[in-house]
Amino acid sequence: MERLEKAGIRSERAFKYAMLAPAVLWVVGFTFFPIFSAINYSFANYVLGRGITRYVGLQNYINVLSDGGFWYSLFITLIFVVVSVPIEVALGFLLAWMITVGPPGKGLFRAIFIAPLFTMEVAIGYLGVTMFTSQGGMVATLLSWIGLEVPWMATASGGLAAAILLDIWQWTPFVFLMALAALAAIPNDIYDAATLEASNHWQVLWHVGLPLAWPVMTVAILLRLIEGLKTFGLPFALTSGGPGTSTQLFSIKDYLTTIQFFDFGRGSAMGILYLIMVSVVITVFFQQMRKRLE
Amino acid sequence: MENLLWINSKRRTKAILYVVAIIAVLWVLAPFVWAINNSFKTLEATFSTGAVIPFLNFQPTLDSWKEVLGNPNALSSMLNSAVVALGTTLLVLILGTPAAYSLARYEFVIGSKDIALWFLSQRVLPPVVVLVPFYVLMVKLRLLDSWTGLILAYSTFNLAFCVVIMRDIFRDVSKEVEEAARIEGANLWQIFWMIALPLSLDGLIVTAVIVFSFSWNEALFASALTSQDAATLPSFILASRSTRGVDFNVAAVNTILAIAPPVIMSFFVQRYLARGLSFGAVKG
Repeated sequence: MERLEKAGIRSERAFKYAMLAPAVLWVVGFTFFPIFSAINYSFANYVLGRGITRYVGLQNYINVLSDGGFWYSLFITLIFVVVSVPIEVALGFLLAWMITVGPPGKGLFRAIFIAPLFTMEVAIGYLGVTMFTSQGGMVATLLSWIGLEVPWMATASGGLAAAILLDIWQWTPFVFLMALAALAAIPNDIYDAATLEASNHWQVLWHVGLPLAWPVMTVAILLRLIEGLKTFGLPFALTSGGPGTSTQLFSIKDYLTTIQFFDFGRGSAMGILYLIMVSVVITVFFQQMRKRLE
Repeated sequence: MENLLWINSKRRTKAILYVVAIIAVLWVLAPFVWAINNSFKTLEATFSTGAVIPFLNFQPTLDSWKEVLGNPNALSSMLNSAVVALGTTLLVLILGTPAAYSLARYEFVIGSKDIALWFLSQRVLPPVVVLVPFYVLMVKLRLLDSWTGLILAYSTFNLAFCVVIMRDIFRDVSKEVEEAARIEGANLWQIFWMIALPLSLDGLIVTAVIVFSFSWNEALFASALTSQDAATLPSFILASRSTRGVDFNVAAVNTILAIAPPVIMSFFVQRYLARGLSFGAVKG
């Protein structure tokens, strides 16, 4: 009997490691190796076809840090994230609140609101060109009815604003979905009790809904920040980084350095510097996740 | 839910909420309507501001659809996207689901929660950081511009999703059922394969849809690692944007074809979607 039990424990051990190992090995191979190799390239001069010709020490880093375009791309990325994320959070929460407390027809609203979530960023950026262009674009036409003329695609701020608007269109549903789940988890009695206490609707939202949903909203905000800092496809398809280089978000800048100019050393150095800069957000995210997962 | 709060709200509050809802619906639907409408116009009609309502203002035509669907590059990019997204989904589920189950059921030297979080790190990394190593790796393996190359890259970024979500979902499967099966003589693999997995089918489908959508939509690696043969829809769209400019009608058809599959799928998996997209941090 005892021997049988021991064999059972041994087979259980073998089982759990056998199940876990392939995925772990995969991640070690395809994540650790690339990161170490990116660090390696960042100190090297890499020529396509010939490989690493020599190591140049910190030269790539010095080149990147003294390049105004790098700092500009960081600045543009920061603006992009700082403008779009708060708007997405506010709108997403408000819509979720509305559906939770509100009128009948919840299922339909919900289905409509999440439709943009899985749309292809590149396709939305491409469609955005036709929406924001001054010759017959949808937005331009609508604005012309009220006598406004906005040069969306011709200026840096216009292009960035268009990209932000489309980003809000696409990602507000994400926050909405998170907020909806958070608000649904609040028991009905709490809403009812608060309704009797509060003098109006908005007090219930502000003093009950928002605080109780806040832990979930924190995760939603962090996930939006992380995804926002990675943004590539939508602005790239919308403006190609132009006019000039004025809407090159970090990912676009790094992509062009790497794939268009094949400057692998510099591209890697940029990536590593960026990783260091965004690691603050990532660290906070992991702390939050650690608390929330059992 | 016709709740007390709604009933007690002032008429003005209700009106505000209705107006916000209607604006939000119009805002969400506008780009879709714009794309669908343009896809049935001729190129000339797209320039005319009066062409708004089909049949009334302009004669709808299938010309742009025929043009795109007759373009071999468009068709092959759709095929490539489908193969790469399905291949990635399959590989991720095969690798990720057993690991998730193992982490949900057993303890390890390092806590299973920390291992799950460690998996998440790949999803959180800005992918552009590892663009160069992946490019060089694909050159060395002669997988540049191939299905396999993209599937390898995408599986890496999506494995985290599968492991973390499925771990969370397996934890909901009751241990009593598994215990009962064990007494009946089922071995550990049979318990996983014939009990835990079927009971977690909902979660598995959501995971599959999310992984499929992310792979279908991915643009950065698609344009870096493919050029011609394995070019997926995002790289096809970026290429046609730069070579032929933007014809409204063709752009509209391309957009619809590109966004339809994941959007349609997402309608069927609303349950667990919040949980999946938040890596299990939100129970919804």
